Amino acid sequence: MPSPDEAVVCEGLVRRFGERAALQGVDLRVAAGAFLLVTGPNGAGKTTLLRVLATVIRPSEGRVAIAGHELPRAAHAARPLVGYVGHGPLTYPGLTALENLALYAALYGVPAERIGPALERVGLASRGRDVAAEFSRGMSQRLALARALLHAPALLLLDEPTAGLDSGGQEVLREVLAEPGRTVVVSTHEPDWFDGLATGQVRIEAGRVAA
Amino acid sequence: MEKTSGARLDRATLAAVVAAVLMPAALALIFFYVPNDADQGFSQRIFYFHVPIAMTTYTLFGWGALNAARYLWTGDMSLDLRSYVPMHLGVIFGTLTLVTGSIWAQVSWGTWWYWGSTELNTFLIIFLFYCAYFMLRFSVEPGERRARYSAVYALLGVGLIPISVLAVHLGQDVIHPITFTDHGANMDGSMLFTFCVALAAMLSLAVAMYLVELRGKRLDEQVSRLRRLAAGTTAP
Amino acid sequence: MSRRAFAALVRKDLLLELRGSEVVLAMAAFVLASFVLFRFGLGGGRPAGGTRAATGMLWVAIVFTAMLGLLRTFAQEREHGIWDGLLAAPVDRAVFWLARACSTCLFLLAVQVVALPAFWLFFLQDGPPPDYGVLVLAVVLADVGIAALGSLVAGLASAGRAREVLLPVLFLPFAIPLVLGAVSATTGTISPQTSGLHTLERLGYLALYDTVFLLFGWGLFEFVVED
Repeated sequence: MPSPDEAVVCEGLVRRFGERAALQGVDLRVAAGAFLLVTGPNGAGKTTLLRVLATVIRPSEGRVAIAGHELPRAAHAARPLVGYVGHGPLTYPGLTALENLALYAALYGVPAERIGPALERVGLASRGRDVAAEFSRGMSQRLALARALLHAPALLLLDEPTAGLDSGGQEVLREVLAEPGRTVVVSTHEPDWFDGLATGQVRIEAGRVAA
Repeated sequence: MEKTSGARLDRATLAAVVAAVLMPAALALIFFYVPNDADQGFSQRIFYFHVPIAMTTYTLFGWGALNAARYLWTGDMSLDLRSYVPMHLGVIFGTLTLVTGSIWAQVSWGTWWYWGSTELNTFLIIFLFYCAYFMLRFSVEPGERRARYSAVYALLGVGLIPISVLAVHLGQDVIHPITFTDHGANMDGSMLFTFCVALAAMLSLAVAMYLVELRGKRLDEQVSRLRRLAAGTTAP
Repeated sequence: MSRRAFAALVRKDLLLELRGSEVVLAMAAFVLASFVLFRFGLGGGRPAGGTRAATGMLWVAIVFTAMLGLLRTFAQEREHGIWDGLLAAPVDRAVFWLARACSTCLFLLAVQVVALPAFWLFFLQDGPPPDYGVLVLAVVLADVGIAALGSLVAGLASAGRAREVLLPVLFLPFAIPLVLGAVSATTGTISPQTSGLHTLERLGYLALYDTVFLLFGWGLFEFVVED
């Protein structure tokens, strides 16, 4: 029985794409409130792991539970609890920042009043009416962060959030990550950047947790 | 490894034996036993091929669609194969249906295809569906997603059948001889008997081919899996 | 919450289109180009086979243009990996499908606002005006069917290789009965107009087609989009 104190539980998680197994049996336990770094070489399966935890893809085999909700059966219950920042910004380039957030507010059932403050928090309040295609990499990341935090998730998943981030964006990221009361799992090539924030680190190699 | 592979071996062989008995029996009945049709003469005998083959095609399709639904419900990968193989055989039998249908059209109406026939047209639509199923199957990488997509499309095909029948009916006259109602009164005992034997022969042939192909494909998969294990790309 | 999500998704599709994604423009251009080709291909005067042949061409052009529209909208999301963000949200997968079907239907209607008058101009000008009420109803019903099934099948096609070829191939078997029904219904509104019962039957058929594939779409889309 998974304890609700564990934000994430993986037991023997396998994920295949066609005939190739990207994850070959991952065992992982993340306590609520922890800040976990996931490191490892490219192609090791870090992104796949995060996508499974974000309920974007389903496990092929094994057990995954988010705050006690088993995936994929209880994925619908788990989704409101998870905020996911993937490789790309996951926003529509043709929509403005405000419109992107309005869409996600509707998808997550978040009241519209929270959109403005969400933009302010990441320092994009003045760019709300600008189309996302015009954003720099740093600004796109900030918008992605705003989108992921909109519904105040208990679990935040970030896939290489520091890659190509400008100093303004890095500041915002540090502030957001320092906020208490959340479980955070970050996949990164720069573990040192998270000194002072991270409470644990795990290394993935060839689809498994390295000893 | 499947414990029942021994039992399955026996079933395939048994089915093959049954087919090997029924087919010649049916052929003998069709060519030597049954009397000539009052209206169409000797060439009407194509009916004893065409209709059983068509009915077998629909049966295969139904079996494939049923297993597709079961796959989506349970996620059991073995059902993917058990859905795909009947669909595959359906293409073969479907082609034969079209060929025999065309011969029958030539015999009955003097043309190689009759656009006024509801059944031929409906069958053509279904046949095109099978071909599209195959294109889908070949364009997606083998794995769970391909199984899922194939199952979804197979199920869509189930909706297609009544829709097509209605559409063709609304769009055309019905002239294709509806054998059981038309000939019901005319089909005497020997004709009915021959028809039933022919149907049983086709179905047993289909079953035999199904079991054999299933076995072959399962072996294929096991070999692939062993290869992948040896290469270290899959967890045991 | 589903209703809000649905409305937001449709709004998103419409906003993106108005902002210049040019899907509707491409669709309209395709249809008009088809008409021109058909017209020239058939030579002067009334088309051989009469209005039925012409209506057949109309619906073929509409089906193909719908394929074009669907591929472009799915391509946008795939290009930017946006589906990951959508799938992570607590929204019933069928809602994604329904929203896509709804916006596709609206795009089709927008194209037809231009295409139908053009069709009349190219092919029917020398006849009496059609029964507009029934014509519009037939067009709307057929559009719903194309959009509903197309949105589901486009999801299947967009995962594979050669998706531009695959989508029409996958859709074709379903397009045949639809075109049969739509042509039957539309021809009935153009002179010589057919009986009320005849028209009702055809419209009823289109409604049945829609119902069947709306149900299938609702039930099956999650298997298409969830990986």
